[in-house]
Amino acid sequence: MVTNMDSTTITQANGVGLGYLPLVIMGLYMLMLLGLGLYGFLKAKGTEEDYYLAGRQQGFIVTTLTIMATFFSSAALLGVPGALYKDGVAFVFFALNLPVSGSAVYVLGSRISRMGRAKGYVTPADMLADYYDGSAMVRLLVALLGFLYVVPYVIIQVRAGGHLANQLFPNVPSLTVFGQSFDAFDIGATVLSLVMMVYILVGGMRSVALADVVQGSLLLSGMLIAGLAVVTAFGGVGGYFGAVSKLPPEALSLPGASGRYTPWSLMTVCTFAALASMIQPAQWMRYYAARSTQTLKRSALIFSTLLPICYLFGVMLVGLGARALYPPTIQDGVLTAHPVVGSFDQAVIAVLRNYGAALFGVAGAAIVAVIMMAILAASMSTADSNLHALSAVLTRDVYDRFIRPKAGQSERTWVGRGVIIAATLLALWLVRVGERNQGFAPLRMIIEMMYVAIAFSCQALPATIDVLFVRRGTRAGAVCGMVAGLVTVLFFTPLPTILLGGGAGESVVSTVDYLKKLFDIGFCGFVVNAAVFVLVSAFTKKPDRKRVSEFARIMRGVHRE
Amino acid sequence: MSRKPGTKRRRLAVALSAIFLAAVVLGTGPGIYLVNPDPADPNAAFTFLGLPLLYVWAVFWFFVQAAVVLVAYFTLWDGREHPDPPRPPSARNGD
Repeated sequence: MVTNMDSTTITQANGVGLGYLPLVIMGLYMLMLLGLGLYGFLKAKGTEEDYYLAGRQQGFIVTTLTIMATFFSSAALLGVPGALYKDGVAFVFFALNLPVSGSAVYVLGSRISRMGRAKGYVTPADMLADYYDGSAMVRLLVALLGFLYVVPYVIIQVRAGGHLANQLFPNVPSLTVFGQSFDAFDIGATVLSLVMMVYILVGGMRSVALADVVQGSLLLSGMLIAGLAVVTAFGGVGGYFGAVSKLPPEALSLPGASGRYTPWSLMTVCTFAALASMIQPAQWMRYYAARSTQTLKRSALIFSTLLPICYLFGVMLVGLGARALYPPTIQDGVLTAHPVVGSFDQAVIAVLRNYGAALFGVAGAAIVAVIMMAILAASMSTADSNLHALSAVLTRDVYDRFIRPKAGQSERTWVGRGVIIAATLLALWLVRVGERNQGFAPLRMIIEMMYVAIAFSCQALPATIDVLFVRRGTRAGAVCGMVAGLVTVLFFTPLPTILLGGGAGESVVSTVDYLKKLFDIGFCGFVVNAAVFVLVSAFTKKPDRKRVSEFARIMRGVHRE
Repeated sequence: MSRKPGTKRRRLAVALSAIFLAAVVLGTGPGIYLVNPDPADPNAAFTFLGLPLLYVWAVFWFFVQAAVVLVAYFTLWDGREHPDPPRPPSARNGD
């Protein structure tokens, strides 16, 4: 139980070493993932549909957990409590994006699933391009938006895996292979990536989804256990909220300690970023892979209700508790994490390391190791789903359409596997070089792109809404809207400064900085995108009427006229 | 005179959508201004029943959203009304 003791003293008193436990648990975890890869391989039917969508036969539990696990990155267990630790209660509102995202699983997902089953679609571009008269431009743009979303996520998660391995195994000696030195970071990132690559390669969606079931379960329990640990550390709910209520005023009000969170920015994030996350390629493919609408209906209910509970009454409590335990300080005018915590996103790690093991008695060290593994699982579950989706997007939307249109199913699946190998090795190389050379431009650029990745995905939203619900847009409208949205989002990256330089670049930066404080970036792009889409659609040729009615019929569940 | 079941469902759908939208606007949007305490005000109330006020506000609107989803699940999200289409004979479709 926490008293008014100095935090450092408490740390020293309660800190319990984890010994070899993380290594043992990590080894078992990796073996299990490889086993799931083998299971997926044995169950495989050798078709493209089976490799990418598990034969469209995923049941309720697998669908629910794979959607949740794909939704979470390591940010769920590190970034979210870190933001609460930094800004206080203002970030709690972020949890309200989850009922919006969860509802989208049914509202958008059931229609996407129905269309996918009826027409054999595999990627998001398959459906959107087919609706807009088979437009190659729509296909390329949707694929590009998916690519821009997926790539930064894969690379950043590989990097996060390396950092976590560094924390779990700080004393691992460096290895030298072919004259190259590999430290804990390199070994961790390499082992994680290679294991992930193997089970995606051999088992496809079936193995990825089953791995997500394990990873998702770890994540959910990790979130709740972490919350329980911090509340127990304060001697119970009363003690916890008593301490949290005494936080400084800026940590108990908006815009938070760093002045970052305005109601408009929170609302647009909770709506548009939430929807964008749910139409990114990996999630979209999970709707196709679901066995039925009923499956998605149940998944939506669980996602909308259980997940926010895990946030609001679990992991978010850790961030606030950490703020009471290890108050951040202002140093040289900058909000800085307490020395025990190190950096803001390490709040969970600090709390668990210093209290977790002591709180849970004999099983304490094992529970803490499992939560650490849950953080690792969060990284892997996002990376594997996105890597698998990247393979589908590049194979179906680029290779099959523009490079080798006559490629057979088997060839496409093997090309997809090649994409997975190439992307994994490239991600590893970028991460390794970037870690040794902090100024390494490609990785820095990718990290910058990560901040706008969801905004790119958001630019497929107007066309998606049109195809699923409105059906009044045109091919030209969709193309112009996506291009306009994409260009708008690019203004929020370092690109304008690089291209325009000097004065013009600075004025763009100051405008986008102002907009960023007010709204979600994806929302800014969405507004421009939707306006252009509607305007251009009003003056251009509508899609083939027969196709429009066919889509409407399938959405309604009527298959013959 | 009894209303058609379709009309009743549509009305419920509109009502639930409106409540959900209100929960988004009030829970995460400008509605927060209704309760957000001013850090500069020495008399501002930062807690409600011993809990941080904004935390209570967020939890309350989450329960509203969750209730809407639950009602929609049991009344509107009806899989039986839209039977799933037959599976395609070939994996290469969407051309």
